Amino acid sequence: MSVAHAAEHGHHGPVAWPPDAQYGAATPGKIGMWIFLVSDAFSFGGLLIAYGILRSGAAVWRQAGEPALGVGFTAGLTLLLICTSLTNVLGYGAAAQGDRRRAALLLGVTALGGALFLVGQAQEWFGIWGPGLVHEGLVFGRSARASTFYVTTGYHGLHVLVGVGYILTALVQYLRGKVGPAQIELLSLYWCFVDFVWVFVFSFLYLMP
Amino acid sequence: MQSSHAQSTGGAPAEAARHGGREVVAVFAGLLVLTALELGVIRAPGVARAAVVAALVGLAVAKASFIALFFMHLRYETRILRFTVFGPLAAPAVYALVLMADAAWRLLR
Repeated sequence: MSVAHAAEHGHHGPVAWPPDAQYGAATPGKIGMWIFLVSDAFSFGGLLIAYGILRSGAAVWRQAGEPALGVGFTAGLTLLLICTSLTNVLGYGAAAQGDRRRAALLLGVTALGGALFLVGQAQEWFGIWGPGLVHEGLVFGRSARASTFYVTTGYHGLHVLVGVGYILTALVQYLRGKVGPAQIELLSLYWCFVDFVWVFVFSFLYLMP
Repeated sequence: MQSSHAQSTGGAPAEAARHGGREVVAVFAGLLVLTALELGVIRAPGVARAAVVAALVGLAVAKASFIALFFMHLRYETRILRFTVFGPLAAPAVYALVLMADAAWRLLR
């Protein structure tokens, strides 16, 4: 029964969308989130393609005095992000099964993991407990390598920051009973997308020889 | 919206929940293995640069596919929804291939 149909008949209880011939039981919210994520993927695709064009056209990619990127440290951040995807998906699964306490705990752990990822990125850029890339000579605007690195990882970091805020907001609403599994699923899609994109950022920016 | 939060997520989530945490944990382990392979590939001695690049692209696509299919439940969505997502996502890859072909042609000209 659609919302409009329910309202027409004075029905105020829970409503369910009828299965669609093409999109099955996917809610309009889920289809909307997917459209947003696909369009967002284009922005990352554009950044990575720009990086590829600049790198393939450069006679020397890594300028003298520029540091190498810390693959080991960033592999740790990658592991952290994969772990948060796991806790996020398990959190959604718990919400779908009505286990509110477990769902809240797992979503909280996911947000904490996201925050730690941001701390790790701050360490990598600026240095918190050791020297950062900026101090080591990788300065935005001084080379195409530096600029593409900061723009791409910064744009991803922005997504992580938004994701942490999204999780915490949804978590509060979930604990108040104002949102349910359908909304937690949308949150889950967004957070997994952050990991999905990082797979390519890590591979292309950090690992490509 | 109160009405929408109470609605059943149905479909893919229900199917994914039926498979439970075991499948998710298996995918998680797969992602760890693929990441370890990536780190191994770049440290392997004597491998041609082109082979390393091809391996890294393949591993990245495999990892991203795992995430999209299992963590984002696309495996359990309808074929149309899968196409709605994967169709456009293939576009940047096609653009990249065209640009690589163009660069190669300029080099060989």
